[in-house]
Amino acid sequence: MAVRKQLIATTASVLLALAGTAFAASPSLAMSHPVAHRSAAPSGTIDIGLSADPPKLDPSLSSALVDRQVMINLYDTLFQLSATGMLEPDLATGYTVSKDGMTYTLQLRKGVMFQDGTPFNAAAVKFNLERDQLKISPRHSSLSAISGIDVTGPYTIVLHLSKPFSPLLNVLAGRAGMMVSPTAVKKEGAGFLNDPVGTGPYEFVKRVVGSYIDLKANPHYWVKGEPHFENVEYKIFTDPNVELLNLQSGAVQFIDTVPPQQVSSMEMTSGYTVINKPSFGYQGIYLNVKAAPFTNLFLREAINNAVNRSLLVGAIFRGTAVPAYSPFGPASPAYVKSEDTPPAVNPTLIRKLLKEGGKPKGFSFTMQTATSPLDVQIAEIIQSMLKPYGIQMNIDQLDFGTMLNNSADGNFTAMALGWSGRLDPDQDIYSFFYSGAPLNSSQYSNPKVDALLNQARETSDMAVRKAIYAKAMAIINHDSPYVFLYHPNNVLAYSNSIKGFVYIPDGLIRVATLS
Amino acid sequence: MLTFITRRILLTIPVLFLISVIVFSLLHLIPGDPARVILGQDATPAALQALRVQLGLTRPLWLQYVLWIGGVFHGNLGNSLQTGLPVAMLIGQALPVTVELAIGTIIVSGLIAIPLGIYAAVHKGRLADLITVFGASIGLSIPPFWLGIMLLLLFTVHFHLFPSSGFVPFFQNPIQNLQSMFLPVVATAVREAAVLLRMMRASLVEVLGADFIRTARAKGIVWRVVVVRHAVRNALVPVLTQSGLQVAGLLGGLVITETIFSLPGFGSLLVNSIFSRDYTIIQGSALVAALLVVGVNLVTDLCYGLIDPRIRMGKGA
Repeated sequence: MAVRKQLIATTASVLLALAGTAFAASPSLAMSHPVAHRSAAPSGTIDIGLSADPPKLDPSLSSALVDRQVMINLYDTLFQLSATGMLEPDLATGYTVSKDGMTYTLQLRKGVMFQDGTPFNAAAVKFNLERDQLKISPRHSSLSAISGIDVTGPYTIVLHLSKPFSPLLNVLAGRAGMMVSPTAVKKEGAGFLNDPVGTGPYEFVKRVVGSYIDLKANPHYWVKGEPHFENVEYKIFTDPNVELLNLQSGAVQFIDTVPPQQVSSMEMTSGYTVINKPSFGYQGIYLNVKAAPFTNLFLREAINNAVNRSLLVGAIFRGTAVPAYSPFGPASPAYVKSEDTPPAVNPTLIRKLLKEGGKPKGFSFTMQTATSPLDVQIAEIIQSMLKPYGIQMNIDQLDFGTMLNNSADGNFTAMALGWSGRLDPDQDIYSFFYSGAPLNSSQYSNPKVDALLNQARETSDMAVRKAIYAKAMAIINHDSPYVFLYHPNNVLAYSNSIKGFVYIPDGLIRVATLS
Repeated sequence: MLTFITRRILLTIPVLFLISVIVFSLLHLIPGDPARVILGQDATPAALQALRVQLGLTRPLWLQYVLWIGGVFHGNLGNSLQTGLPVAMLIGQALPVTVELAIGTIIVSGLIAIPLGIYAAVHKGRLADLITVFGASIGLSIPPFWLGIMLLLLFTVHFHLFPSSGFVPFFQNPIQNLQSMFLPVVATAVREAAVLLRMMRASLVEVLGADFIRTARAKGIVWRVVVVRHAVRNALVPVLTQSGLQVAGLLGGLVITETIFSLPGFGSLLVNSIFSRDYTIIQGSALVAALLVVGVNLVTDLCYGLIDPRIRMGKGA
């Protein structure tokens, strides 16, 4: 009996000791709350939850959406987006465009320094743009219209285009317009993405891959009175429910995503603000026009007409997405409500299309989709929507890397793959439907669409461009190489202890104004 | 003993070599292209090709392998294709997290399972036994991810007793380290303890029915001494084997716990690298994981001798 008691006592004491240290009154790593001051000197720390680990903090090499959440605070852009979605000066203070649309002259901000002390000037801009034009940069294609860059003064730069390209200024408000320090790039070489240097409100301090990224206030930041927080710590949570729990526990004060099923309860919870606004992105299904059965136009049309987007969005997204019928959602400058509203599902029309397509009793096909529970749920709902017409949709779950390969190789019949969206409408449509373009995985080709998309690129007036896109979309929706499903919202949430947040339609958390 | 250890260590060399060849070949068989994952959806063929050349992926496979394994012999596991960071450094950051979690899990589950298993076996068929076995069944049926979320909700959101995320290395701040590891360890240990408990109970029940126990009792040895000195030592061997297997399994199988508690561990590093087709990290991690499993097995074998002197590790073993 004594031995047994001893065993139990030892177990209990070890467990208690372990618990005791855990309960000890030391300040814990995640229980701290920010100290906010609106004073001249930045102070306190803000902890921000990110839904993925940003792979590359170099704007020239970045291809993941989440990179931008951190980069927007490390770098300034040549132009920036205002709260109403208009272009505003940032590092470029003004610009002129030649009448033929072939020459852009940018005036640059004076007195700005990179965080390593390198002066920001026209030479730095030339260095950055030329770096982005290298083939290995994902920025390469968006800057391919630039044929020459001339530095005509210390703060004046001239961009010569090979053909008119109206999306250029919007492109320069995105990652291609983020300016990195030429000195740091030359010094660090390939290591720059792990030790980035920009002109933004925060400097890079440290990162542990998969865990956190630390930034500190840039003492030389050119906007007076900003930033307010001295330190920013990004914490990585790959599960959105866990990310939300960490907001509720106080471990972070701001999160970049909220699971759809939690949005309404968070909106009701006092102490938090939820931002739920349309994003630039869209999700949908590629139908491979070069692979049976979707070589058949009628069968593609049947699918495009049989999916009830409102039902899908209502069932899954609970107000965090809107039905889509074009690439241009409510946040896009090219948005036209009537053009983006899917037609009501008409069973007679669908049966007629199936009959015309030679498959009156339906047919079967396989759709490739990603493995997340959300993607699978969407696929299953679509599967059930097609079933009444005898259309049997099989679901093939694949990891993202494999899907990217299959989409590029045309190795699929149907594939659910969307786009995170960009500031300029051109970047949300051109590459998807222009013959032979990189994102045209459906292998769709229609000379009329190509001509319209080129015409839009050469037109600077957005109202005119809108009309051109509407014409192109009418043809594209008729040809149905892609089934637009929905536009996801940017859903952010933050503790009410944080003040000064300004929502910009790109959904990025700009820390400089926060206190 | 020394010969045994030396032989086992020498045996690991062909094992590791084989594993490196298998992992390398399998990696290149799975669909997916690192260049495409790095450059994203809208990469042009020219950009993809330029990046493949830069990453050395256009070289013949055998040459890629030889270059990589040559680096390994010089202690260089290469650099991550995604971030360019040294693989050895990334593994060095991630491994201690998972090793601590695995060891903590085994210690805590052992501390729960062994005494309770002994208690249940000794009281076989009685109410205490039934309650313990029932408890173990519940422990087995609770998924660690659910338990993790519940623990987070209770101890971090409702009662701010523990941090909900973040990892502090032990040598940087032992107290914060234990704070951050407590809930993850509990979340995984419950299930592991249930497995061990059932194993301990079954093994001890069997030993307690053996002839030598009856003999020992007949000789007039006190019951608790019979249990502790004769029965438990014998019954621990399969439990130890199980623990060894559990540690080996945990080293790569803690991804879910790591995700829920936001711990930058080895499992997460490996899984993320597979998704991003970061070949060099996968290769390095597989090698290190194999080394660890071989090491854990060696330690388990050595422990047998400590518990049961009949299992000799000397000459001829």
